[in-house]
Amino acid sequence: MPAALLWRQMVPWIKLFLAVHKGEEIQMIKGRLTRTVTLLAASALTLGFAATGVGISTAGAATATPGVTATSITIGATVPLSGIAVSYAEVSAAANATFNFINKHGGVNGRKIKYIRLDDCYNLAAYGLGCTAGASTTTLSQTQVLVAQDHVFATVGSLGTAAQDSVLSYMKTNGVPQLFVNSGSSDWSQPSTYPNLFGFQASYQVEGKVFAQYIKTHYKGETVGFIGQNDDFGAGGYAGLVNGGINIASANHLSYNAADPVLGSFSDIGTDVSTLQSDNVKVVVLDSIPGITGAILDTAHQDGYSPKWIISSVGADPISVNSPYEANAITFDSLPATNDKTNPWIPWLRSIILADKTDFPKFTANSPMDGNMLYGAAFAVAFAETLKAEGKTVTRAGFVKTLESTKLATLSITPLQYSKSNHQGLLGGVIANIAPNGSAAPIYFNEPSHVVYTTGNSKNTPIKTLPYVVSPIPAWLK
Amino acid sequence: MTFLRSLRVQETTNARFLCVGLLTILTLGISFVLPPVANSQMAGGAAITIVILGLSWLIGWSGQISLGNSGFMAVGAYAAGIWAHHHATTPLIFTFILATVAGAISGLIIAIPSTRLRGPYLAGMTLAFSAAITPLAQNFTSVTGGEGGLFLNSLSTPSWFLHFFSGPNATINANAQWTADLAVFIAGVSFFFMANLFHSRTGRAMRLVRDNDVAAELVGINLARTRTLAFVVAASFAGLGGALYTVINATVTPQTFPLTLSITLLTLMVLGGIGTLSGAVIGGIIYAFSTNLVAHINSLTGVNPTSNLGSNMQGIIFGALLILTMIFAPRGIAGVGTAVQRLRNARRTALASNGAVD
Repeated sequence: MPAALLWRQMVPWIKLFLAVHKGEEIQMIKGRLTRTVTLLAASALTLGFAATGVGISTAGAATATPGVTATSITIGATVPLSGIAVSYAEVSAAANATFNFINKHGGVNGRKIKYIRLDDCYNLAAYGLGCTAGASTTTLSQTQVLVAQDHVFATVGSLGTAAQDSVLSYMKTNGVPQLFVNSGSSDWSQPSTYPNLFGFQASYQVEGKVFAQYIKTHYKGETVGFIGQNDDFGAGGYAGLVNGGINIASANHLSYNAADPVLGSFSDIGTDVSTLQSDNVKVVVLDSIPGITGAILDTAHQDGYSPKWIISSVGADPISVNSPYEANAITFDSLPATNDKTNPWIPWLRSIILADKTDFPKFTANSPMDGNMLYGAAFAVAFAETLKAEGKTVTRAGFVKTLESTKLATLSITPLQYSKSNHQGLLGGVIANIAPNGSAAPIYFNEPSHVVYTTGNSKNTPIKTLPYVVSPIPAWLK
Repeated sequence: MTFLRSLRVQETTNARFLCVGLLTILTLGISFVLPPVANSQMAGGAAITIVILGLSWLIGWSGQISLGNSGFMAVGAYAAGIWAHHHATTPLIFTFILATVAGAISGLIIAIPSTRLRGPYLAGMTLAFSAAITPLAQNFTSVTGGEGGLFLNSLSTPSWFLHFFSGPNATINANAQWTADLAVFIAGVSFFFMANLFHSRTGRAMRLVRDNDVAAELVGINLARTRTLAFVVAASFAGLGGALYTVINATVTPQTFPLTLSITLLTLMVLGGIGTLSGAVIGGIIYAFSTNLVAHINSLTGVNPTSNLGSNMQGIIFGALLILTMIFAPRGIAGVGTAVQRLRNARRTALASNGAVD
C-alpha cells in the first residue's frame, strides 16, 4: 500500500515537529525559569519601547469624522524626505507652505489645515540609501502612523507608484480617502473598486501617446530607444509609446532598477546608454526620476552620445535634474512654465513662499521656482477648494462627492475636473522644451505652443486638443 | 493533578506548552493596552521572530551560516501571495501551511549542495540564493506581478472582535490589534515547535554535528541528513514568517526581500542571542521598535533626522550595539545573565587564588 508507506515515511517527521520522543528529556527547572524571566523582561521591553516611541495622539477624535474638529482638519502624506527620491521633498513642502498661507488667512470654513508629512524613503527604506527611516519602516507602516495614531481625515499628495499601491488595501479597509496621489499611474482611477482613491496628474500612458505623436511628426523614420524605471512608471510610459504607434526594437527597450541593492541603478544606466549609442538610436525617451535622468544625461555626454532626449514630466524638472546636458530636451507638462510672466499663480506662489520661509529657508526673491513647487501648490489648492465647496459640515463621503462634482480652479493649464468615472485628475498637457541657460544647468521649461493634448489610455482613443486654461485665482486665496 | 505532576517529572513538552501559552496570552493582553501603531509594529516583529527562530536553529544549533533567509522568506511570501491572490476565500491556515511547505522545499533544494560546503563557502552560496530571488520575482511578471508585486485583501477583523472597541476609531484600532494578535498567536505556536525541537533528540544530534562531526558520525548520526534537516526546518520557519509578513502587509513585492534583509536578520539574531529561543523574541522586538528607538535617540540628542548624521543613525546605533554585544555578551541580550554570572565566577576564582576567600 503506497499510502501506508507514505504515512510511515511521514511519522518521524511529524514526531520531529511535535518532538514527542517519550520520556527522553529532563529539563532543568532553573533553565525554564530563566527563559520565562527573559521573556517577561522582553515583553516589558515591548511596553517600554512603545511608551517612549509612540506618543499618545492628540489629534481630535471629538467628532464623528476622524481628523476633523470645529477649528482644524488634520491630513497627512507619506513622501520621500530622504533617500533616492529626495528631490521630490519640495512638492509636499510647497503644499505645506500653501496650507500655512491659507491658515494665516483664517483657514477654510473656520478650520486650520494641519498637514503631517512622514518620510517613507520612496518605500525603499530597507535599502538604507541615506534614508532616515529604519529597517522596518515602509510606506504602509508610515501610513499606519497617519491613520491609526494621528487619525488623519485623508492622505493628500502621498508620493510614488509602488509606494501608494502598497497601501491601497489598507486605506480601503479603514475607509480613509487617498487623495491626489503623486504618480502618473492609471491605478488611481478605479472608482468602482476604490471609490475614495484619486490621482492628480495625467497618466503615463497619455504622456507616452502624446510623445509618440510628437516623434512621428518631428522625427519621422528615426530609430527610437527607451529607458524606463522597472515598475508601473516605465511600463505605463512604454505602453503609451507603443499604443501611439512607435516601434522600439526590443534591444532598445531598456530599464533601470530603482531598487538594486547589489550593483545599484547606476550600473544599469551605463549599460543602457552604451547600448543605445552602439545601436545609433537618434531619439531616446526617458521615464526616470530626476536623479536618474541627470545620471543618464551625464553618462551619455561623457560617452559623446547626444540623441534627442524626450523626458517624462516626472523626471524632467530642470532644477531637480541639474544637468547642463538637459538643454533643449522635450518634455510634457500639465502645469505652467515657472518663468511664465502672464500666469498669475506664479507670482502668487512666490509671494507665499517668501512670506513664510519655514518650508524653503534658502529661497530668495531671485531664486528660480521649479515644477515641484507648482505641483505641490496645485494639489494643495485643489484640496482647499474642495473643502470650501463642501461647506461647514465635513465628512469623508461628502468630500468625495464634492470632489466628483466641482470644477477646481488651480495652477494647472488644463481643467481639473473629477467625476464619478474619472479619478485620474488632469487629462492632458502641453509639449514643452527645456530652455538652455548658457553653460550652466537649465532652470526653466518653455511652453512655446499653448496646445493642450489629451487622449485616453487605450490604443484606439484619438489624441484631441483641449483649450489652454489659466484659472483666475479665487478671491478668498488672494 | 497528573498534568501538574508531569511538569515536574519528565514530560517537559507540557511545561513548555504551559510557559509558551502563558507568555502568548500575556502578549495578547499587552496588545490591548498598546496604541494601534505599536500593535502594527508588533505584528511585523512577530513575523520576524519566526524567521529568526529558524535562523537561530540553523546557525546556532547546526553551525551552518546562512545569508539566504531573506530568500526563504521571499519564497514563503510569494507562495502565500500567489495563492491568496487567486484563492482569496480559502482559510488563512491553508495559506500558511502552503507557504511553510514551499519554504521547506526551497530549503531542501539549497541544502543539497550545502552539505558539501562549510563556513564562508556556504555563506557565499546562500548569499547568491537570496540575491537571485529578487530578479526572479521581478521577471516572471505574469505569476509574481513583477516589480509592482501582488496585492491581497487586508485581513478582515471578525465582528465579535469589534465588540471590544468603541469610539470613532474603533475599526482602525480593532484592525490593527486583530492583525497583531493573529501574528503573536502564530509566533507563539512556532515558538512552541522550535522549543520542542531545540530539546529533542534531533536538537542534541544537531549540536553534536556542530561541535564535532567525527564524534557525531561515530555515534551513528547521519551528517548529511542532519545538516539537510537543519536547512529544511530553518527555511520552513522563514517561509512561514514571510507568509505572515505578506498577510500583515497585504502586499508582496520584490523590494520587500532585499539582500540587506538577510544581513538585518543576522544582526537581530546576534543581538538577541545566537541559538537561544528568547533571543529570537528579543530580535523581533528590536526589529519592531527600532524606528521608535532611533527617533527617540535623535530627539534626545537633538540631531536633525534628515541630516547626514540623522539618516545614518540606525546604522551607527546597531553597528555599535553589535560590536558591544560580541565583546561583552557573545550570546546576545538573552545571554547577558550568563555572561554576568561568568564574570562573577571568574572574579571569585581570581580572589580565591589570591587567598582572599570571602
